[in-house]
Amino acid sequence: MDAAPTISTQGLTRRFGELVAVDDVNLRVAPGQFFGFLGPNGAGKSTTIKMLTGLLAPTAGRIEILGVDLANNPVEVKRQIGVVPEGMALFGRLTGAEFLNFAGRMYGLERGTAAKRTAELLDLTQLADQPKKLVADYSHGMQKKLALAAAVIHGPKVLFLDEPFEGVDAIASGTLKSMLQRMIARGATIFLTSHVLEIVERLCSHVAIIHQGRLVAQGSLEELRAGVEAQPSDGRSQPSSGEKLTLEQIFLRTVGGSSRSEQELSWLG
Amino acid sequence: MSELNLTVHARGQLAAIADLRWRLFINSLRTTRGKLEFLSRGLVSLAFLLGGLGGCFAMAAGAFYFLSAGKPDLLALLLWPVFFFWQVFPVMATAFTNNPDSSDLLRFPLSYRSYFLVRLAYGSFDIAPALGSMWLAGIFLGIGFARPTLLLWAGLVLLAFALVNLLIMQMVFAWVERWLARRRTREILGVLFILLMLSLQLIGPLMEHFGRRSRPEMTRWIELLRTTQALFPPGLAADAIAQAARSHFMVSFSSFLLLCALGTTIGYFLHVRLGAQYRGENLSEVAAPSASIERQPLRPGWNLPGLPPSVAAVFEKEIRYLARSGPMLLTLIMPIFMLVIFRLGPMSRQGSFFARAPNMAFPAAAGYALLILTNLVYNNFGGDATGIQFFYASPVRFSQIILAKNLTHATILVLEMALAWVAVTYLYGPPAPGIALATLAGLLFAAPVNLAAGNLLSIYSPKKLDYSTFGRQRASQTTVLVSLLVQIIVVSLGVTAFLVARSYGRSWMASAIFLALAAISVTAYVTVLKKMDRIAEQRRETLISELCRT
Repeated sequence: MDAAPTISTQGLTRRFGELVAVDDVNLRVAPGQFFGFLGPNGAGKSTTIKMLTGLLAPTAGRIEILGVDLANNPVEVKRQIGVVPEGMALFGRLTGAEFLNFAGRMYGLERGTAAKRTAELLDLTQLADQPKKLVADYSHGMQKKLALAAAVIHGPKVLFLDEPFEGVDAIASGTLKSMLQRMIARGATIFLTSHVLEIVERLCSHVAIIHQGRLVAQGSLEELRAGVEAQPSDGRSQPSSGEKLTLEQIFLRTVGGSSRSEQELSWLG
Repeated sequence: MSELNLTVHARGQLAAIADLRWRLFINSLRTTRGKLEFLSRGLVSLAFLLGGLGGCFAMAAGAFYFLSAGKPDLLALLLWPVFFFWQVFPVMATAFTNNPDSSDLLRFPLSYRSYFLVRLAYGSFDIAPALGSMWLAGIFLGIGFARPTLLLWAGLVLLAFALVNLLIMQMVFAWVERWLARRRTREILGVLFILLMLSLQLIGPLMEHFGRRSRPEMTRWIELLRTTQALFPPGLAADAIAQAARSHFMVSFSSFLLLCALGTTIGYFLHVRLGAQYRGENLSEVAAPSASIERQPLRPGWNLPGLPPSVAAVFEKEIRYLARSGPMLLTLIMPIFMLVIFRLGPMSRQGSFFARAPNMAFPAAAGYALLILTNLVYNNFGGDATGIQFFYASPVRFSQIILAKNLTHATILVLEMALAWVAVTYLYGPPAPGIALATLAGLLFAAPVNLAAGNLLSIYSPKKLDYSTFGRQRASQTTVLVSLLVQIIVVSLGVTAFLVARSYGRSWMASAIFLALAAISVTAYVTVLKKMDRIAEQRRETLISELCRT
């Protein structure tokens, strides 16, 4: 990782009372990486992404995006990034076109440019056919596509996506993936959290795994695979002979999946 | 054996549902907020219980009097209020919000009979049936004391009447629930609800206005009403008891049968609705037909000369939100509506305030307009819900976002004042120039004070609200109290200014005082606005968690 990182954190920590949700996390995401941020439920993924996008203040630590300190210059950082947070951050009582237009102008686009990009994005995401429909009446998948369209309308250099594929059907998912791959091809950096490990494995070049608030692995898929293979195995999550470890197997061995379910609930058949 | 198992199974399910309700109640007491809610509910229930007992005594006395005086037909006068309360109160209490409660049960293997029973039981323990039953018990006792021989029959009729009420209530609720499942119908019903409430306000003034002139016509209407009411449950129940009191048993029995037939018909309609729910109808918003499939040319966003594009964008968004909120728009016409009420009602009589001082109608309308606007001003971000995250993620300063919102409020106020001017001119004559000037100067002082206070409370005490629904959307208690305090201060200063001007006989003095106060309030507003970026950053987590709450 020779180039200056696009995203870097030093000692990033967030406490909620007694609970340490994110504990001394040091992330480095290089330019142009498609970066997957994984972890079990409650591991601290959403808390981390909220801190990286300025939606949540860290208790301690430092965040730099594109070399700019987020705490000192949040507006400058926000100008360069796009965000699809957990709640999607939509305005339900606007139409899709009105919302994209609004988003474009909030990111400083000229009125004409915002309108032109709105039309293009609506076409690309197949949301142009129902111009009078309010965002509140969109299906979940349509809302995800719209949220992504709003996050990219200003052509951000870095994109943060919190569970972009959750609750999205195969068609919408395909549209989202092609949009993201196009952005990567043009040199953008994407940071996403997801529970769908197959998608992360297919899309992401680099991965970090957070567990109980602490970063337990970080690197390219090959680096993570090599690291896990070097560790002694308990026999579970093993690939068939000659096959590579899948991301799911790497993930399970890193965070330590439970074998209790195999021994219990015998009545399930 | 399998029948027995099914019965046992259904009983277990019903017990589980009852247990679920109990657990939900117990768990709600874990938080301080839940305990306070329980306490306030207890106080409200106590008030209702007192109302129920009072009503019970009143009903007993009324029934006793009607039977003793040989006027059993007038029992309908007692049964109609019971009927109205029983039917109208639950609808008003739910106030057009979505109620997903019962459909959640359908994921379980519940038999239709159990589902029907659960739905019926859900409504049976509400305030309306409880109070209605208490009042019916009062009528029952009154009849019993007056004519002990009628007690059994009256008891049977009143029981049937109570059951019919319960069925109607559940049927109305089930259908309303079906309509409310979609945002569009929820909005339409919200608007209709407000119009209904406004119409009720008009009854008194209109009766007073037209009552004296068309008495014969009123009498004809009352006669028509008297004969028509006999076909409805309260009329039928009253007739069943009254005819028995006169020993016309066949007629009495016929009325009772008609009441039962009505109950059966209503039960059938309830069965149709619940049956559709049970079979798994889809009421989701997505299933709603799309308004249009044709593409429309895209227009660029609005442009406000001299202001940054982000301010124009937020201003446009706010106006679009407001334009799509029927309930919110209707509340904004309230100042004009109140002027009409005052013009038609008792306030128009000789000697009343507005009859003596018609010039004060314009300041009154201005004050009321500002008061109505506080709904929006004191909870700036309430309607944005998860959109608040967008504001925080965007590269726009919060002071700019808030400035745009305040511009929207100011625009609405200007529009309202223009409408008020027209309405006052039409209803009371054009306001005197001195008073009009003082009013506008007063607004220059009062509006920035309210905007500054509103901006602070919007950040410190936010509350998520849905512009498309009406009711159950009260602001936080802190906001209500502070808002009240601000209004008291503003009104006191306003009245003082007017009194000073009046005592010196120079109306321009009020304008001068207001302009001096306006200079202070504008300075305070600008100072608060400048601090908004820092305050919004500090309050970021509270604001997001409150407004993104599902």
